[in-house]
Amino acid sequence: MAQSGRPPASIRIDGVTKTFDGQVKAVDDVTLDIEAGEFFSLLGPSGCGKTTTLRLIAGFETADAGRIVVGGQDITDLPVHKRDMGMVFQSYALFPHRTVAENVAFGLRMRGLPKAEIAERVAAALKQVALDGYEARRPSQLSGGQQQRVALARAIVIRPAVLLCDEPLGALDRKLRQSMQFELKQLQKELGVTLVFVTHDQEEALAMSDRIAVMNAGKVEQVGAPSEIYDRPRTRFVADFIGEINLFEGAWSGGRFVTGKDRTLPAVTNGARSGTGIIAVRPEKTRLVGEIDGALGGRIETANFLGGQVLYRVVTDEGRAVLAKEQNVGTSSRKVGDRVGVAWMPSDAVSLEA
Amino acid sequence: MTRLSRRAALKVAAASAVATLAAPAILHAQVKTVKITTWGGKWGDIMKASVLPAFEKEFKCTVSADQAFPFLPKLQASSKSDPLYDVLHTNSNEQWMAVNEGLVMPKFTPKEVPNIADVYPYAVSDKIVGVSIFTSAIGLGYRTDKGLTPPKSWKDLADRKLDGARGGYLIPVNSLGQAHLMMLGKLYGKGMQDLDAAYKALEQLKPIKMVDFTGQMEKMLLAGEVSMGIIHDSGVLRYEGQNQPVDFAIPSEGVMALEQVLAVTPGSKVKELALAYVDFMLRPDIQKQLSEGVWYSPSNKKVKLDAKYDARLFNTEEKVAKLIQPDWNWYNARKDDIDAKVARLLKG
Amino acid sequence: MSARRLDAGRVAYYTLNGAILTFLLLPLAIVAVFALNPTPYISFPPVGVTLRWFEKFFANEDFMRSLWLSLRVAAMVLVLSTVLGAMCALALARGRLPGAGILTAFFMSPLMLPAILTGLALFQVLLLSGVGRPVWGLVMGHTLVAVPYVLRTTLAVLANFDTRVEEAASSLGASPVRVFFEVTLPLIRPGVIAGGIFAFIVSFDQFPISLFLVLPKGETLPVVLFNYMKFDLDGAIAAASMVSIVMALSVVLLLERVIGLKAYVKL
Repeated sequence: MAQSGRPPASIRIDGVTKTFDGQVKAVDDVTLDIEAGEFFSLLGPSGCGKTTTLRLIAGFETADAGRIVVGGQDITDLPVHKRDMGMVFQSYALFPHRTVAENVAFGLRMRGLPKAEIAERVAAALKQVALDGYEARRPSQLSGGQQQRVALARAIVIRPAVLLCDEPLGALDRKLRQSMQFELKQLQKELGVTLVFVTHDQEEALAMSDRIAVMNAGKVEQVGAPSEIYDRPRTRFVADFIGEINLFEGAWSGGRFVTGKDRTLPAVTNGARSGTGIIAVRPEKTRLVGEIDGALGGRIETANFLGGQVLYRVVTDEGRAVLAKEQNVGTSSRKVGDRVGVAWMPSDAVSLEA
Repeated sequence: MTRLSRRAALKVAAASAVATLAAPAILHAQVKTVKITTWGGKWGDIMKASVLPAFEKEFKCTVSADQAFPFLPKLQASSKSDPLYDVLHTNSNEQWMAVNEGLVMPKFTPKEVPNIADVYPYAVSDKIVGVSIFTSAIGLGYRTDKGLTPPKSWKDLADRKLDGARGGYLIPVNSLGQAHLMMLGKLYGKGMQDLDAAYKALEQLKPIKMVDFTGQMEKMLLAGEVSMGIIHDSGVLRYEGQNQPVDFAIPSEGVMALEQVLAVTPGSKVKELALAYVDFMLRPDIQKQLSEGVWYSPSNKKVKLDAKYDARLFNTEEKVAKLIQPDWNWYNARKDDIDAKVARLLKG
Repeated sequence: MSARRLDAGRVAYYTLNGAILTFLLLPLAIVAVFALNPTPYISFPPVGVTLRWFEKFFANEDFMRSLWLSLRVAAMVLVLSTVLGAMCALALARGRLPGAGILTAFFMSPLMLPAILTGLALFQVLLLSGVGRPVWGLVMGHTLVAVPYVLRTTLAVLANFDTRVEEAASSLGASPVRVFFEVTLPLIRPGVIAGGIFAFIVSFDQFPISLFLVLPKGETLPVVLFNYMKFDLDGAIAAASMVSIVMALSVVLLLERVIGLKAYVKL
């Protein structure tokens, strides 16, 4: 039951820069292409510029340089109230002096729609977020999760071509957060709206997004689908930020990746490569083997039982700590202090840009 | 619905705002206005009811009478060339402050105010700025139902029997208190200007209930909170015939004069009217009316009071001889020192 | 043991509250007794009950004229100071003005100055500029000392104001003007109204500023009462005080009913 009466819009952010107080470049020459109907996340640590980017799209901030084009229309200089975008805030930002129904009706009222249509659409939107029956309540009488649903209903009822969410689930507890992630994703698919989602939570971004832009210090480090970002991080920052990973610094020479005292690590090379480099291997891509050739020999320092998996911390003979994750198949007899070898498929080692 | 009533409320507020802003636009015709100060209370009632209307009628002018204290600071703040008042009516001590600042003219000539030819000498003495139109006598008020012998001397106020039931004034703010302080110097020292003796004597009067207005002293006497207190005769005599157990005593050492003084501002734009007003206030008929209304002793020798007033007020050469006029010019020059000293003295 | 301690705490709590309440209300009670007592001075115990002082108050032309003037002036001060105070507060909290701190202190300064000086200064300005002492001068003087109250209460609300609520409104299509009337104003209203009530009372009870700014026959009630007191200290003063209290209280209640004081924002 897609409610949206309007096709989703693509967003093009073209070389946008935003400086605060004339010094800090919050957003530094960012270029992004967000496809129509896409669930697109801006992910990064606090202060990376993700929220500022979102606020630039919404129009709460004006760019110092660059253009923003939505659905083919250049909106760089368009005031907020003419941009026709839905916005959901972490603090919900509900109107405390209005009832739930009045909150949701606000955008429609601003558009001067007839009363009957407003009532109908408000009812539909509240139903969509499972809040029918709560029309007459005030925001202060609702729980955090309910308030967030009202905020969502208020944003989608205007059938925006673009929905902007600034850490919308950040204030909810873990359990509620997970169910809301699912619901939000569902709703986005139903509405077919372009959704730009700001979060600092990598798991949330990985679980929900069609594509993710990882940002750091005002710049975009990498854009890609969750699996791409996770499996093929391009930079050390992205590799480090997303999940746990083992990083090895070394040098390419003669078609091999060499680290430490002339130890070759499994990695795919094209032979022509030379100079220093970094490779990254996810713990779950490693395997613990016997002390065989080509494996990193070491001793198990700790073993953390995670339920479905066991996370081992192995200290190699060179004194380096390596994380290895194994499926708990119920047959493992490894214990702390055992000597093991750590190995991985060359194709699972990712070469990072320095 | 809330919306409607809110709008209605705003409308009312706006309408009253407009009405009040428009109000001062009273048309001033060619009629001249003489601006005076005057007392409130019963005095003010008589002034408003008959004296001022009579003056306005006779001199074809209007009188703007300010009854709201403080007169002197307002006059000080206004321009000397366009003063806020044409005639300043206040007590003698304030008139001295005013004349020293050049805010009022020091004297009248008989040509300017013909009726001063008929006033007792005290009314135009060297202790007076302008002319005193009436005077009260500062003496002792006392309860007649407390078994007290009527006081004969100011010294009777120091009687230890009166401890806890003795009334006086806050000296910094009340001229009766100030006059009494000077009297203490005369009683216990070398004269009215013997402040050291006065301070010592004042200390002997502790405990003493201090008030700032004479009206409060009246009420304390009536309520029996004090049995004897310093007060002007008019403040007690006004209750005559009302069955109140209070009376006024004239101590043998004499009474202090509490003069009602008129003076004209040098910058007055209607000086003739101002002088006419002063002269008018000295007319025997006006003097009689106000005198009998508020128990003030008239300055004009020709006033014939009804028997009841004649018996008590100071309206013969013999009686006015008992009036002692304080030297306010001398006192005002030392006022700050005296205030500080008295405050220390009465603290404990 | 803990129950006993709780009881002792409770007793102390109620005793303290009772004492504070008595301290606040006792003067009112004394005024009420004075107003209803037939003697023209305070006598205790009261010798009877009479309405003669109320009759005297309501029959007195000066009292009635000044009461009406005081009410009108206070109403105008209420309107002016809420508009000015709220606008100043918004500009100071939102305008990103250079030296907003200094400006705030400046607008608050009429509260720091002795009001008598403010009154005297205004009086001189009015006289020197040759406009005399019109009622609007009085209104201006009162507004000057009333605005800080509105400013304070409005700034307090604005300090806790989540500006995202306004952003949400504009993202929903509200123009800046509509954002102001639909969101900002309703949310700061409790602060503005609370300040406005202070403003009304500050004006209605204003004495030091009025002292200089009133004209003969154009005095406000507190000035008339003060001068009356110097000559006739009787129950009419107490009756006038009771009437003033009732008036001020009814205006507060009326505003509460009509405009609504209930704060729906957590302050």
